[in-house]
Amino acid sequence: MKRYVYINDDNLAKDIYCDNRISNRKYTILNFLPKNIWEQFSRFMNQYFLLIACLQLWSLITPVNPASTWGPLILIFAVSSSKEAWDDYNRYLSDKKANEKEIWILRQGIRKLIQAQDICIGNIVWLRENDEVPCDLVLLGTADPQGFCYVETAALDGETDLKTRSIPSACMGIDVDLLHKIKGVIECPSPNKDIRRFDANMRLFPPFLDNDIFPLTIKNTLLQSCYLRNTEWACGVAVYTGNQTKLGMCRGIAEPKLTAVDAMIDKLTGAIFVFQIVVVIVLGIAGNVFKDKEGRKLWYVQYPKEGPWYELLVIPLRFELLCSIMIPISIKVSLDLAKSLYAKFIDWDVEMVDPETGIRSNAANQAISEDLGQVEYILTDKTGTLTENKMIFKRCCISGRFYGNESGDALTDAQLLNAVSTGSADVILFLKVMAICNTVIPVRSKSGTISYKALSQDEEALVCAAARLRMVLENKNGNILGKECPWWLGNAKAGNFSSCQKEQMKLFFLLPVLIVSGQQVRTLAEAVEQYAQLGLRTLCLAWRKLEEDEYQEWTSMFKEANSTLVDRERRVAEVCQRLERDFEILGVAAIEDRLQEGVPETIEILRKAGINFWMLTGDKMSTAIQIALSCNFVSPEPKGQLLIIDGKTEDEVCRSLERVLLTTRITESESKQDVAFVVDGWALEIALKHYRKPFTELAILSRTAICCRVTPSQKAQLVELLKLGDYRTLAIGDGGNDVRMIQQADIGVGISGREGLQAARAADYSIGKFRFLKRLILVHGRYSYNRTAFLSQYSFYKSLLICFIQIFFSFISGISGTSLFNTVSLMAYNVFYTSVPVLFSVLDKDLSERTVMQHPQILFDCQSGRLLNPSTFAGWFGRSLFHAIVVFVITIHSYAFEKSEMEEVAMVAVSGCIWLQAFVVALETNSFTIFQHLAIWGNLVGFYAINWIVSSIPTSGMYTIMFRLCEQPSYWITMILIVATGMCPVLALKYLRYTYRPSRINILQQAECFHSSGIIEPKSRSSLEKDLPSDSVYEPLLSESPSATRRSVGPAQRSDSFQSQSPPDSTHTRKDN
Amino acid sequence: MEEGRSTASGIEADSVSLSQRRSNFIYQFTQQSLPACKPVLSPVWVISVFFVVGVIFIPVGIGCLHASRSVVEIVYRYDVECIPAPFRGNKLAYIANDFIPKNCTKHLKVVYSDAISCVLATNKWKENLGDGRAMWLWYWYIKRNACALFACYFQVLVCACFLFCPEKVPRSMKAPIYVYYQLDNYYQNHRRYYKSRSERQLLHGLEYPDIGSCAPEDVINGLPVVPCGLVAWSMFNDTFSFFRGVDELNVNRKNIAWKSDRDHKFGKHVFPFNFQNGSLIGGARLDPNISLSDQEDLIVWMRTSALPSFRKLYGRIEEDLDADDTISVKLLNNYNTYSFSGSKKIVLSTSSWLGGHNNFLGIAYLSVGSSFIFVAFLFLMLHIQNPR
Repeated sequence: MKRYVYINDDNLAKDIYCDNRISNRKYTILNFLPKNIWEQFSRFMNQYFLLIACLQLWSLITPVNPASTWGPLILIFAVSSSKEAWDDYNRYLSDKKANEKEIWILRQGIRKLIQAQDICIGNIVWLRENDEVPCDLVLLGTADPQGFCYVETAALDGETDLKTRSIPSACMGIDVDLLHKIKGVIECPSPNKDIRRFDANMRLFPPFLDNDIFPLTIKNTLLQSCYLRNTEWACGVAVYTGNQTKLGMCRGIAEPKLTAVDAMIDKLTGAIFVFQIVVVIVLGIAGNVFKDKEGRKLWYVQYPKEGPWYELLVIPLRFELLCSIMIPISIKVSLDLAKSLYAKFIDWDVEMVDPETGIRSNAANQAISEDLGQVEYILTDKTGTLTENKMIFKRCCISGRFYGNESGDALTDAQLLNAVSTGSADVILFLKVMAICNTVIPVRSKSGTISYKALSQDEEALVCAAARLRMVLENKNGNILGKECPWWLGNAKAGNFSSCQKEQMKLFFLLPVLIVSGQQVRTLAEAVEQYAQLGLRTLCLAWRKLEEDEYQEWTSMFKEANSTLVDRERRVAEVCQRLERDFEILGVAAIEDRLQEGVPETIEILRKAGINFWMLTGDKMSTAIQIALSCNFVSPEPKGQLLIIDGKTEDEVCRSLERVLLTTRITESESKQDVAFVVDGWALEIALKHYRKPFTELAILSRTAICCRVTPSQKAQLVELLKLGDYRTLAIGDGGNDVRMIQQADIGVGISGREGLQAARAADYSIGKFRFLKRLILVHGRYSYNRTAFLSQYSFYKSLLICFIQIFFSFISGISGTSLFNTVSLMAYNVFYTSVPVLFSVLDKDLSERTVMQHPQILFDCQSGRLLNPSTFAGWFGRSLFHAIVVFVITIHSYAFEKSEMEEVAMVAVSGCIWLQAFVVALETNSFTIFQHLAIWGNLVGFYAINWIVSSIPTSGMYTIMFRLCEQPSYWITMILIVATGMCPVLALKYLRYTYRPSRINILQQAECFHSSGIIEPKSRSSLEKDLPSDSVYEPLLSESPSATRRSVGPAQRSDSFQSQSPPDSTHTRKDN
Repeated sequence: MEEGRSTASGIEADSVSLSQRRSNFIYQFTQQSLPACKPVLSPVWVISVFFVVGVIFIPVGIGCLHASRSVVEIVYRYDVECIPAPFRGNKLAYIANDFIPKNCTKHLKVVYSDAISCVLATNKWKENLGDGRAMWLWYWYIKRNACALFACYFQVLVCACFLFCPEKVPRSMKAPIYVYYQLDNYYQNHRRYYKSRSERQLLHGLEYPDIGSCAPEDVINGLPVVPCGLVAWSMFNDTFSFFRGVDELNVNRKNIAWKSDRDHKFGKHVFPFNFQNGSLIGGARLDPNISLSDQEDLIVWMRTSALPSFRKLYGRIEEDLDADDTISVKLLNNYNTYSFSGSKKIVLSTSSWLGGHNNFLGIAYLSVGSSFIFVAFLFLMLHIQNPR
């Protein structure tokens, strides 16, 4: 599919392609209601509540006023609808602003000011400095005589560096006035989302240039939402407009992620639903039997002899409605509120603000904080994530001589300085290559100092180093020769024409010389090896002299390749390879990429917390291993053991994989040895393709893995692999190559680092530094999980409590489905009385942050889901049953006979529930801030206030009831009795468990209490470590923890023959050739 | 806040410190570092809570029992006894036949069966506890070792068992004596029944025509019924009069309903209309010339009960009754409880600050309180044996 754009032709193509109206809106005014309601009802919970609400409209079966369900339901719907509407309205406003922005375009040869939405394809658009680009343009002219302009593409890919864009060579030299008359055709692909490619051709009509096809690349385009910088003006022709621009096509709605806790809550909801159905069926049958056996004798009830056909259904349906409160309508709202607060806490946390850049942490996805506490695998990128990605040129080896080995810094090496000043030819050439072969843009400030803007940190490091060695890159002049320049970067992408001016010395202008630098150059193995072992990034520099005719021949081939529409990249690469031969190696440059602050400690703590680390990097194996060792990824030998999977062919990989797998099984089964496997991209490809099963097993067995030379898609594949094993994965990275992995993982964390914001934008959480990860997981993730676990189970508890009372009451009301409680109480109970106090459990902290950091093992409880699982839920279920019995029995006995008036009994029961739940929340709260006190005790006051107000309305059913009750001493005595009876066993059990069978959390709480300041002295800490079953980390708890599954997956097949097959020295012996 | 400065600067400093405090508070909130107290379930704390609650509960329980004991209550079931011998085999025929006179006279003695009072009155507790020796033994037990707490606990339970001694004690009754009728196995809370009423019709009468909720007793012969619904239709219609010897005891039947109901729930200008005119006659008939707000029996009856056994106030006797007085009750046994094996009782009762006679709270407090103390001692022993 191709698109033909006729430049500056007002008549054509107007109706074929869409105009430039941008629309990010999800809804329009007309379809908002139906669409929004449809979306909301696609969720099971909402369907359920709607069904209940509709059933309640049938007055024969409804126990209470339908308002008790419709009210909350409509409220919830209104809240989420208005949120959607508000978001959509804001989108509409920003769209409108963008659409109505005034833009200069060319119409009938005259420049006119029109609104951005009226731009048509083929229009020529004029932009001034700092203008936003309104649609995708192909550059035609700029103010710069060389045809360059600079754009900032932050909105598109998050990278803040300025990028150069140039006009197509066809338009080079066209006068500004002539631009008004330019005509031509651009042949470009149909709209797509690839922001890195634009394979198009342009042909200008006479009188400009005759029928010559010129290639266009992404370099010739200005994409929508970029900003024009450092350029006075630029003009271009619109090729994609409206929602068909690259940006518009990229825009996608991320799939909502579901946390493990959410899944568990859904499961529990399902179980409660089944329980409810069972209750309904049993009570329905019992009710019908009672009706026939006894009910017909009750003359005062006047059962008709012959009922309608649905008579049998009436009682079960009544019970369905009575029991519908088992599934709390408020849980969704409560959880949403809590989750957004968790996210806010992450945003607000000052301890996660990068002190250097001031970048705050940000939770873009509000819904998945609990998952942070349940992470089992962390997949991390290396460069920029573990390391600072702040490259510094450290050492070099020029023609066999090592510089910087003694001092550790080549720039201060006297020998090198000496060589520079004496003008040693090798060294000078080396420096020239360093300074020139790159895409660095020198920016000269007004004061005359030169700063460099570069996409690649390596290049910047080289250029800066060269500058310090007096080889300053001052200016990049464009096409002085009017041709594509022949300077090449190692990986063979067309570089910019460069000049190196120093001391008026013009170099290389007339003599086309090819200089190739690259990581793949395979000589100087020794230097490369040495540097790699130090954890340095190595770069080989080489050059070759080109003859004039060879150059000419190659240029034409290159041009041809560059103008193909199909498969351009591969063709260009092929052409470029033709030059990459017969190099003369100049030397090796080594660049240091320092580890970020706190990385080893963070990894150690998180590994202690039972999280498995995988490092996925595009770097060389030896560098990767070195970094892994230095940041505690693997313990050094003899404890740690690295097993390498390699091989070029399927057989080799297969054999290697099996060997590693067996070794891992053996070591895993017999000791706690730290085993890691190392695999490179090639072997990984084969393993994933042909040996998926053994590789999966290995992946599950091994706590640590290092994958080198992996591509972005392989990273995503590995995440997928772990997710299939039902592990919670967290992917962390900083660069564009990590985006896929980040999106694939359960939790994506982006580091807003120097490689741009791309990863941070795609991620669920963005943090400034790797070391914040431990706080993100151990503090925020853990608290979120604990709080949600309590909040959700408590929501079920309080709904079940009131529902059980209704069920018990039905046994003394002739199983006829009478509701004990009136509408007001039922509605307010769920929405207000019980939801407010528990919401403040989002401030609860079971342990102080410091304790958690000191004892990261505590995270196991969250990982294995010990606070929210069917058995803890059974505990809450039992508690609600017990409390319902207590409330019910005490109420009907103390309010018997002459006091048994319906409304009074109901209010006594409701008050009993409210009192009990206040004490339950208080007992389950670990730390009381002022908010908790206010919420818990204020809620009790609020309960009485509301009921007094309702009781003073003459038309309400409970007129004067609450006043009456509050005057009776027996009411208050009953309340105290209910609380004491209900809480006694709960408190006793909790105390017994806390004191005599404490969980790890309890132990730490006690320790915190003893050292009331929260500081645990080293001595007691060590005793605590003893107490804290440090080996139970591996032993008894593991029925639910990841390692247990790991063990069960890999049955220990003892095979002694393989023990010797993985020599320990295989660790670092993989050579680069 | 500093003292001793001029007012203006004081206010200034005040406001500054206030805003500072506020921002500090917000900061602490955002950092989740609000000052918090962390209660820890330390043994001392838990044991003392259990102990203190238990210690408080026992006197409260004794107080409740005492209050309940001070109430004198005479309960007499008359529904079976009031059926003449020939009809004993077919009660339904008796009650359904309007032509059989339903008069019935029964005699009640002012005696009272209550647990505590009987224990105290018969000096049984002395035999039981062994005139003070057991008290000393208790004391010695508790002092000696905590194991005795088991014994103590069971003693309390045994004591509670004695509370249900069936002996009857003559006791006098002080005015006002409440007269209730009690219905058992009567489901006023049945959904079909309890919903069959119209609050607004009771208040507004015929002006309020929407009485669909009253079905099946909403419209008879094409005319709306006031008061409509099953509840009103099935109103209790036994009547009682009391005699001491030959003197009739005056039963005050005014102000037996809640004042709020009379004033705000039942219309002053709403009169019964078309009531009990159907083929099925339920319970009492109403005087069409008395407005609903003055039909106190109806108002009492319309306060439906949540339990299948309930008492409703019939009236008050405003004279004291002496111990061993014999009261004759003349009653009209009209109301049908025979078809559903319910029962009807007449209850004379005094009242206390806690209400009528109800031992439940007292016993519950005693047993809960003693279990608290028991648990406290259990935990104490556990704690002494396994100090942590």
